[in-house]
Amino acid sequence: MNNSKILSGTKLSKNYGELEVVKGVTISVAAGEFVSLVGKSGCGKTTLLSLLSGLERPTKGDVLLNGKKINGASEDELALFRRENVGFIFQSFNLIPTLSAWENVALPLFPVKMTGEERKRRATELLDQMELGHRMDHLPSALSGGEKQRVAIARALINKPKIIFADEPTGNLDSVTGDAIMEILNRLHTKEGVAILMVTHEAELAKTANRLIRMHDGEVIS
Amino acid sequence: MNVGYLFRELYYQKRRTLTAILGLSIGIALLVILNALSMAYRQAAHAPLQEIGADITVQRPGDVPKDLAGAVFPCSAVTIRKEEVEKIQSLPGIRGMGKAVLLWVFDPKQAWIVLGIEQNNSIGPAVLRSAVTEGRFLEEGKPEALVEVAYARQFGIRVGETISVNGSRFPVVGLLDASRAARIAVANLYLPLSDAESLAASSKNLQTVSPFAPGDVNLLFLKADQEKIPGLAASLKDILGKKATVATPDSFLKLLGSLFALSDKFTLAASLIAILVAILIAFKTMAGNIAERAREIGVLKAVGWTNRNVVAQLLSEAVIQCLLAGLLGLLVALVVTFGLSFIEVNIPIPWDMAPNPHFLPGGGDQIYKTLRLPVHIPWSLASFAVLLSVLIGGLTGGLLGRHVAKIKPSEVLRHE
Repeated sequence: MNNSKILSGTKLSKNYGELEVVKGVTISVAAGEFVSLVGKSGCGKTTLLSLLSGLERPTKGDVLLNGKKINGASEDELALFRRENVGFIFQSFNLIPTLSAWENVALPLFPVKMTGEERKRRATELLDQMELGHRMDHLPSALSGGEKQRVAIARALINKPKIIFADEPTGNLDSVTGDAIMEILNRLHTKEGVAILMVTHEAELAKTANRLIRMHDGEVIS
Repeated sequence: MNVGYLFRELYYQKRRTLTAILGLSIGIALLVILNALSMAYRQAAHAPLQEIGADITVQRPGDVPKDLAGAVFPCSAVTIRKEEVEKIQSLPGIRGMGKAVLLWVFDPKQAWIVLGIEQNNSIGPAVLRSAVTEGRFLEEGKPEALVEVAYARQFGIRVGETISVNGSRFPVVGLLDASRAARIAVANLYLPLSDAESLAASSKNLQTVSPFAPGDVNLLFLKADQEKIPGLAASLKDILGKKATVATPDSFLKLLGSLFALSDKFTLAASLIAILVAILIAFKTMAGNIAERAREIGVLKAVGWTNRNVVAQLLSEAVIQCLLAGLLGLLVALVVTFGLSFIEVNIPIPWDMAPNPHFLPGGGDQIYKTLRLPVHIPWSLASFAVLLSVLIGGLTGGLLGRHVAKIKPSEVLRHE
C-alpha cells in the first residue's frame, strides 16, 4: 500500500427530493488500501458507494477517481471510466442468468475489441484463481452462493481495476462461505495491491479492513 | 454487440422469445396472406379475358328483330361500324385487336349460334385452335366450318359433311370442344369472319334494326397496356356510346364481389392494420423485455457498458427476433396460401357476354368461368415481409433506446 490517493470524495451530498441521504461527506481511499464503510441499514453507505464509484452523481461535492474528476463526466464517459478503473461486487451477485460462469466474468470485456479466445483466456485464468476452473461452463443457476460470489469477484477483476467497490459482499452467504469470500478480498488487497472499499453493516467483518469508516444518518462519524 | 450473448438470451428466455416471435409472425402472416389473396383475385379476374388473348372486350347492345328468322344479331351485340373500329384501333395504349361477328341464325329446322372469326389472329376466338378434337382448324381464305362437338353430336353432324346455314353451304372441316375453352366468344358453329360478315350483310331482317356492311363487326377483342385499361374503357364508351359493354379485368373483379376483390383500399387498410398490430406486439414485447431486464441492464452499465453498447445488444436481439418472426410468418402464410389455392372461384360471365339466346331453354342460365384461386406468394411480397419484420425490429429497438438510457444502475442494483 502506498499513500497516493486512488479515490477521494469532497463534501459529498446527495438529495432525493427533500431528503438528504448523504450530508457533506469527505472521504478518501489510498492505492492498495482496504477500507470498510460501516453503518446501519439506511444510513446512506450504499448511496455514498454509488457516488464514489460514478454510478450516481452527487448533488454537491466532487469525486476524484484515479486522478480524474468524474462528477462532470457524461454517462457514457463514466461507463468507459468504470470499465477501465473500477470493479464491482454486489450482495446479490448480479450475474447474468443466461451466460455461463466464464462469460459472466468476461462481461465487461464484451464491448472491448478483442478476440473471443483472448476474452475466454482471461476469464478462465481468473476463474482458476478462484478455484472455479471446473465450473466455467456452468450457468449461475447451477452454482452455489459462494461460487456465484467468486464468479462476481472474478468479473470485478477482469479489467485489472485500481479499486473494487464491494457492497455487502457476504450479505447473502452463510458465515463459512462469507469467511472464504473475505479471505479472497484480503488476498486481493495484500497480494495484488487492489484498493477495496467495502460497504457492510457487520462490525466483525469490517474489522478485517485496514481502516474503518462509520456512517450514521448520512454523515461520517469516525 | 455480442453474438453469443444474443443467442443465449434468445435460447434461454424461451417464453419471452416465443411470445415475441409468435405475436409478430401472426401480423406478418396476415399481411402476406391478405396481399396474396388480393393479388390472386386480381389474377383470377384476368382469366376470362386472358383465355381469349385479350384484355378488353367490346360490344354494343341494340334491338333484335321482331321476327326471329334467318341471321340476326343478339340484342347484346349489334353493329360496330368500320370507322368506329378504326378509331378504336388508333387509341393510345391499344396493342392489338381481334374482330368477330356473332350471329344467331334461325333456319327452319335448327338454330345456330355462329361466330365469324379471324383464323390467324392470336387475339380473339382463334385461340380455340387448341380445342379442335377432330379434323382441323379453319384455313385462311376457305369458306368452311367448325362445329362444336356437343352440337354436332346432337344433330348428327360429321367432319366431311356439308352444312347449310341461312342458305349458304359450308364443308365441316373439324369439331371442337368449346367446354375446354373460354366461356365468352363461344358458339356452336365457327366460320371465317368474311363469311359471317356476308351472312349478316345479306340478312334483311338484321339490316332493319342494325344496318351492317362488310368490314363492320359486332365483337371486338383488344390487347392493351395494363396501366391504360381504365382510361381506355372510358374512351371506348365515348366512341360507342354509354350503353356499350366494355369488359375489363376490373369489371370481372367487381362481379366476383369478394371483399378482397372489392377494393384495393380494403387490402391496404387491412395490411396497415396487420403492420400496426405487428409493431404494437413487437413494441410491447420489447418494452416488457426491458422492464424485466432492468437489473441486468443495470449490471451491464455498472461494469462499463455504454448506453450505445446496451442498445446495440438489445437492438440486435430485437432484429433477430423480428427476422425469425418474419420467416415464421412467411412460412405460416405459405401453408395457408397452399390451402387456399384449392379454393375454386366462380367468375360469373355477364349475360350480355354469353352467346346463347336467353329465350331458348337454358339460355338464361348464369354461366361461370370456374378456376382454382391462383394464390401464391411472389418473391417481392416475401422479401417485403421479411424486410418489414427486420425494420420493425430496428424501429422498436431504436425507440426503446431512450428507455434504456433512463435506467440508472444505482437504482436497479440497490439491495436495500
